[in-house]
Amino acid sequence: MELRNPVLVASGIIGYGREYERLVSLDKIGGIVTKTVTLRPRAGNPPPRVCETASGLLNSIGIENPGLQGFLDAKVPILRELPCAVVVSVEGEDVDEFCQLVRGVDGSGVAQAIEVNISCPNVGPHGLKYSTDAGMAREVMSAIRPLTRLPLIAKLTPNVTRIAEIAQACEECGADAVSLVNTFIGMAVDSRTRKPILGTVLGGLSGPAIKPLALAKAWEVVQAVDIPVVGMGGITRPADAVEFLLVGATAVEVGTALFANPGLAEDCVDEIGAALARYGGTEIGDCIGSLEVPEGRGVVRAGRAMRTGRGGRAS
Amino acid sequence: MNLVACTVVSNRELSPGNHLLTLKVPRAFAKPQPGQFIHLRIGDDGEPFLRRPYSLEGFFEQRGVRAVRIYFSVVGRGSKVLASQGAGKELDLIGPVGVGFAPRPRRTPILVAGGRGVAPLLFLSRRLRDRKRSFVFLFGARSRSELYGHREIRGGRLHLATDDGSVGYKGSVLDLLEREWVEGGHTPLTAEIFTCGPHGLLHGIADFARARGIRCEASLEGPMACAVGACRGCPVPLLPGADNGRYPAMCVEGPVMDATRVDWERLP
Repeated sequence: MELRNPVLVASGIIGYGREYERLVSLDKIGGIVTKTVTLRPRAGNPPPRVCETASGLLNSIGIENPGLQGFLDAKVPILRELPCAVVVSVEGEDVDEFCQLVRGVDGSGVAQAIEVNISCPNVGPHGLKYSTDAGMAREVMSAIRPLTRLPLIAKLTPNVTRIAEIAQACEECGADAVSLVNTFIGMAVDSRTRKPILGTVLGGLSGPAIKPLALAKAWEVVQAVDIPVVGMGGITRPADAVEFLLVGATAVEVGTALFANPGLAEDCVDEIGAALARYGGTEIGDCIGSLEVPEGRGVVRAGRAMRTGRGGRAS
Repeated sequence: MNLVACTVVSNRELSPGNHLLTLKVPRAFAKPQPGQFIHLRIGDDGEPFLRRPYSLEGFFEQRGVRAVRIYFSVVGRGSKVLASQGAGKELDLIGPVGVGFAPRPRRTPILVAGGRGVAPLLFLSRRLRDRKRSFVFLFGARSRSELYGHREIRGGRLHLATDDGSVGYKGSVLDLLEREWVEGGHTPLTAEIFTCGPHGLLHGIADFARARGIRCEASLEGPMACAVGACRGCPVPLLPGADNGRYPAMCVEGPVMDATRVDWERLP
């Protein structure tokens, strides 16, 4: 998969492209990841669905979407016109649904890649099961791999002890890349009313509050797999995108902070170019994984299956 | 709807905790309809992190210079920061956003405001006056100090209510509406209701309207993240049977909606 530049807008942020067309210059960014498509239409979760927390956003949207057929009928024609790469995000309740979704999206011809959302915390028990257990991750990735030649990007949850194991399971079963992180499970309470703020009690936390956590997960996974890692989680300043590249992400996805600053993705593209010039590099590969780390430092102790010789550059 | 820079012209605390903010906007900001809102960046140090939606109290244009006004109360982190932004402060906003009020021809508009919900209705009353249409304006607040803007209402008949009886009728503006409906001789074919205020009040007004078959538009308030219909973070629950269980987005399918279809029990 070729991208104009390594900056995408994350799933659930920009709808199917049209919603933000007056505010985001899609011709300047690498691409968008669509709102996740499920097999059947979903109305989403009861309100309230969003709550701002300290430097973060807690959400429980519940993948409100028109379903695969509605997507093919109403959204694909819009996506075809977009001047950037389109990654279609899909989520199934079981392996069979994932298979139907991958076949459907593949057949539409609109996607340059498929992001396999096995990490939504807001759709009930099935949402996280395929990315919190390496065996389950293998099951779904092995089933969908033969169904398409499109690149498959497995989107991982950070709500696990050893994210590297899940990433390796996806890699072994044919994932072309992994993207991380989805949101951290969180909760907000109103002490005046003695009630949870979100309609579903629990939600997923995103925004600048999670960036250090997300960077650490990216760092951990980069050292554990050979496939590209798409880094995301809390990118708010343009320099945040560069940080993900430095720890070894091949591309980044911009999320929640785009709501505050619709120009953020373009700003990240500019900042990556400026950083590359500062580093004296000529291509993006000169930046990716070029973090200068003292030998032997930064070992993620939670990951038991570390490989050596990748990730940080010794200095 | 555009993303535009704006500058604080003035930010006055009219009564304790209640502010009138005037923002100069460029010509790229389209002429808004009453009931539409702006999604405003409050500060520039990331606190609060997200924008805040504010209903427009007015739109003014003189010699090519455009300005909008919002009337807000200090209720949380965002409004607290906004209250501190003085003249000259540069911010930006997305707007105008959403669906505004849609008065029909040849019907008497009855505007029913509760507290700071008066803001979009003041805007609507000015637009009606500009079009030389008469209206009835019913405005309720907790006390005299929370009444705002009523002295400038022109071209319509005004009735006030306060919970403490400090001015006007002592009681709810809903009582005023019931009285006006009977004494004014209104019927669903001759009048319609436009309202904004606390959701509890709107619930009562919606029930009143539904029971009599009156057309009733309400401007809703709630937390929003993107405000452009992308994130689906501001769902409006509708009564069973309406829209097949789908949740309209308050930001782009509202904030003004048919009050008689909203499931107020499930709207926070």
